[in-house]
Amino acid sequence: MAEVKIKDIVKRYGELQVIHGVNVDIRDGEFVVLVGPSGCGKSTLLRMIAGLEPISDGEMLIDGKVVNKVLPKDRDIAMVFQSYALYPHKTVAENMGFSLKIKGVPKPEIEAKVKQAASVLDLGKLLDRYPRQLSGGQRQRVAMGRAIVRDPRVFLFDEPLSNLDAKLRVAMRVEIKELHQRLKTTIIYVTHDQIEAMTMADKIVVMKDGYVEQIGAPLDLYDNPSNVFVAGFIGSPSMNFIKGSIRSDGGAQRFVSDHGSVLPVRPLPVSDGHPVIYGVRPEHITLGPGGLPVRVAVVEPTGAETQIFARSNEDAIDAMLRDRIAVRAGDHVNFVVDPVNAHVFDQQTTKRIS
Amino acid sequence: MGSNRTGWLMLAPTLLILGVFGIVPFFYVLYLSFHQWNPFAANPNMIFIGANNFRRLVFDGEFLTSLWFTLKFAFFAVVSEIIIGYMLAQMLTRDFYGKGFFRTIHTLPLIVAPIVVGSVWRLMTTPSIGIIPYYLNKWFGYQLNIGSDATAAFIITVIMDIWHWTPLVTLTLLAAIVSLPKDPFEQAQIDGANRWQIFWHITLPMIRPAILATVFIRLMDALRTVDEVWMLTGGGPGAATRFVGLHIWKIVFPKTDYGYGSAISIIVLYLTLVMCWLLYVGLVAPRVRRSKVNADA
Ligand SMILES: Nc1ncnc2c1ncn2[C@@H]1O[C@H](COP(=O)(O)OP(=O)(O)O)[C@@H](O)[C@H]1O
Ligand SMILES: [Mg+2]
Repeated sequence: MAEVKIKDIVKRYGELQVIHGVNVDIRDGEFVVLVGPSGCGKSTLLRMIAGLEPISDGEMLIDGKVVNKVLPKDRDIAMVFQSYALYPHKTVAENMGFSLKIKGVPKPEIEAKVKQAASVLDLGKLLDRYPRQLSGGQRQRVAMGRAIVRDPRVFLFDEPLSNLDAKLRVAMRVEIKELHQRLKTTIIYVTHDQIEAMTMADKIVVMKDGYVEQIGAPLDLYDNPSNVFVAGFIGSPSMNFIKGSIRSDGGAQRFVSDHGSVLPVRPLPVSDGHPVIYGVRPEHITLGPGGLPVRVAVVEPTGAETQIFARSNEDAIDAMLRDRIAVRAGDHVNFVVDPVNAHVFDQQTTKRIS
Repeated sequence: MGSNRTGWLMLAPTLLILGVFGIVPFFYVLYLSFHQWNPFAANPNMIFIGANNFRRLVFDGEFLTSLWFTLKFAFFAVVSEIIIGYMLAQMLTRDFYGKGFFRTIHTLPLIVAPIVVGSVWRLMTTPSIGIIPYYLNKWFGYQLNIGSDATAAFIITVIMDIWHWTPLVTLTLLAAIVSLPKDPFEQAQIDGANRWQIFWHITLPMIRPAILATVFIRLMDALRTVDEVWMLTGGGPGAATRFVGLHIWKIVFPKTDYGYGSAISIIVLYLTLVMCWLLYVGLVAPRVRRSKVNADA
């Protein structure tokens, strides 16, 4: 049980700076997900929290105490590595009990704790096996088990599910979330998969190139992305972006793309001709009379939904429709957007214009 | 079929050399060990005497003493080499000023022939000209004379062996250490282990196969040390450093008692095998068996 404060944290490898002054406040018991494309510095940040990587600048606080100089072994933090990092020469039970043995916990107590964690994770029959005798999913669960026997102040997860197949990934996602609801321990979870972030997090930290782009609750990021990067990163399929400008020509403001497609906007505090990027999520487009006339290029029915890839002039737009709709490639339809769902970003700064 | 024959043909030179220089001499020695044969004795003929040579061994005080010294020598040398070699290997995994230079210098003893090593150490330890007695006297007031002090002579042979062979241990253990995965060590830190606990619970078990292999190699080598010690002390003073190899040499060359010398060789080979087997059974086999049982479960 702990809160973690990350204050102006900077990480440099020699001349190369990879984290540029990151600030995150993590409340006690919160499930925080660090998400961003590969190479953005998520693992580095996590390893600094664990103490495995020295902090170049800034302060790291756990429960109000600066831990910059505290060794990993004294931070009382559990971590699950992407590679699982199991001890190859120890059995499953020994792997899970190692931290307790180091702490000097009596043997019967270790055994009881390991047994309990093993039953939670369905590892009971594997306790005498060595890591090399386990499948990927089983190794992953051992790594989890090693973390939960400890009852640490904070759990750190570095892409723990990325080596699993899709089905197992979904199952483990649910298990980790249940685990959090039961233990209520602070979790900091790193992933490059925005679906994992959206489904698991209380709070998401979106990172890019060593900067924090936005911090917020999952739906908050979905509804109000603060810039083009977050807007495109969060949500699947990803948001449509069209370049153009805001025009009013005396009447109401509207968006006109560089290729002449016209889309509605809410009133915006910008002058006529301001260059913008217009964003709308595929699931916020409906078919209807009126709206933007488009030509259908490809239709992808998935059963529950129908995704339509279409073009208006040279602008590519796709729509995700809830119903089965009898359109075919080459058809002409109209895409309707509610201006409430339109996101408008400044072309220069890529920041949201509200 | 064709490829099979090609395979044998390609192996033929190796097998031939192995046969001529390894297997044939071995069986010849085995054959000799059951005979009495001293070409310069009153009866120079080869006489079959069954296991008499081996019986003679059991009562041969000189042989038993030399065997005991050899075991002591091998024990102290190999244990020190493993410990020092491990520490040097750990040091070489870190960066420090002059590391490349140190690594080169440190490996040099390996390429020096044993006979040369023996000569150099003899020069260095000869009283009144050697550098070692000089400084021992200057700094500690200790008079080193390996020509008369049995214990000192024994210790110097051990130190010489350490000097000569530690680099081999360093290199093999360094190779083992750098090929270890990094994550378990970070995980151990997270799990709360300190340096010593990491060494004991993680590093040591993980490089255990390399350590055991090195122990086997060094042990077999140390048990048949001859030339260096022969050059350094000639087996003396008295018989203080007359290790088994030297003992055999004395029997076979100055005394030309070929039959008995062969018997000693065979016994030493046998004892070496037994020791390695005991080490294997004690240290390697239980692990292998345990993981096999688990795999079947
Ligand atoms: N030891 C290192 N030396 C130099 N650069 C590094 C080192 N470790 C990571 N980096 C760089 O830091 C950046 C962030 O890496 P990382 O935190 O692993 O990214 P992520 O986990 O988000 O994929 C990358 O550009 C990577 O190349
Ligand atoms: Mg990473």
